[in-house]
Amino acid sequence: MQTEPSPPPLGGAPGAPARHRIELDGVSSGYRGNRVLQDVSFVIEEPAIYVVLGPNGAGKTTLFRTLAGILEPYSGTVRIDGIDIAEHAARTRLQYLSHIDGMPDGLRVDEALRFYAGVEGASAPAVERVIGLLGIVELRHRFFSELSQGQKKRVSIARVFLQERSIYLLDEPTSNLDPKLAKEIRDLVLGLSRDDLVLYSSHNLYEAREIGKYVLALRDGKVGYFGRLTDLRPTRYVIGIRADGAEGVLPAASKRGEYFVQELSGPEEVPKIVAELVAKGVRIREVKEMENPLEDLFA
Amino acid sequence: MVIGRLYLGIGVGVSVLLALILALGAHGGAEFGQVFPLEDPLFAVMGSTGGLLTFTSDRTKGVFEYLIAYGVPPRTLFLNGLIATATMTAIILGCSMLVGFGVAAGFGVGVNSAVVAKTVVLYTLPMSFAAALFTATVGMIWASISSPRTGMNSPLGLAPLVGIAPTVLVLIVAETVPPADFYYVTAGAATAIVAAVVVLLLLSARLMGRERFLSPL
Repeated sequence: MQTEPSPPPLGGAPGAPARHRIELDGVSSGYRGNRVLQDVSFVIEEPAIYVVLGPNGAGKTTLFRTLAGILEPYSGTVRIDGIDIAEHAARTRLQYLSHIDGMPDGLRVDEALRFYAGVEGASAPAVERVIGLLGIVELRHRFFSELSQGQKKRVSIARVFLQERSIYLLDEPTSNLDPKLAKEIRDLVLGLSRDDLVLYSSHNLYEAREIGKYVLALRDGKVGYFGRLTDLRPTRYVIGIRADGAEGVLPAASKRGEYFVQELSGPEEVPKIVAELVAKGVRIREVKEMENPLEDLFA
Repeated sequence: MVIGRLYLGIGVGVSVLLALILALGAHGGAEFGQVFPLEDPLFAVMGSTGGLLTFTSDRTKGVFEYLIAYGVPPRTLFLNGLIATATMTAIILGCSMLVGFGVAAGFGVGVNSAVVAKTVVLYTLPMSFAAALFTATVGMIWASISSPRTGMNSPLGLAPLVGIAPTVLVLIVAETVPPADFYYVTAGAATAIVAAVVVLLLLSARLMGRERFLSPL
């Protein structure tokens, strides 16, 4: 797997001016003097979803907080569209979703959203729009504190759509959500990524692989990998074959659930092994990759 | 917010109850005029801790994190905590005095108006606001620079004592001095507590970086 401690700018057609730009230059940031992020540098220009990955404590939330201007870097600079993050003009280009709900208690859902609409300078119809968009009409008159974890998350995400921005920082937006709602959220985020920059952290590697175009992997507060997801090559290429009549043809010891697991040298070997199995009368139902290359980023 | 309203309700309720008991009690005017202005700050401090609790409980809610992201300076959040505390103190004092003095006047309870007015101006009002702001300032800084804890030994559990203790102490000391010096002690103590609040506010900028307002990772 390739490693780029200080990657060059990513995205954008050569020579074409980027519509939006996030630039970190030598940023160290953290809490009470403890440098969680250490000398982090990268530039993002191309509208896409940039999945931020890393084990617990790697610095994902600290990165989001630093990008959002919540934490002041100990050193280095954060620029949004060329504007230092300390300036209000930079913050008005961002939309931030924290890993916690951030909703005042004692308020009903629509009251809480109106509160944030006021803070953001969003119009009153925006509240009605996001209530419809996130499907929380039935929750609008309920107190936020009475909602389930998943419902709270939906309301929290609704706030992200109150005001259109060009850069979205989403810290674990689908945690605590059921698969159906998580997919709906992913679809909304994919819609954003057509024109905007989206940084999206997740512990779900399959979700990350599904929606991410770029991966920014943090390890011990440093950039361990930053590049296209498709450029990642797993250290092992393992496929699972679900098939009828494969017993005796494929080793039984390799079976994992319904799948016969085979380690290959690369994807180019797949047609060959499939052809061999078909020739032996095996009826192949499905062939899939069993290892997510993103897992290597956690190794 | 819920806990803030709860404490405000308790502060108003208990202080109004005290006013009614003293104004309508068996001994009438004498006790009301002497005791009510001296004890009212205790309830004002207790009730106004709702402002502090609202501030400190945000570390598990994360509202401040969003407000900072939207560009609200942390110092504004801190000062708003103090403003909420002062507002709650004013509400509690206003309600209890309105009811207390209103009932006393309505039932013809005889009080020495000049003495009561002097006590209110030189003790009740300054000490209530000074002690409430002192409690809130100490509590907010303390809770922010320490790891989140709950229970009676936490900053939140001990905060009311921080404000009530000097209030009671001042009363004890003031009782030991000649009557003519009583108001010098009370007004002086209130001034000293306000000065302590100012010093803490100046220190707060150094003690409380932005990360102090954020929820734990």
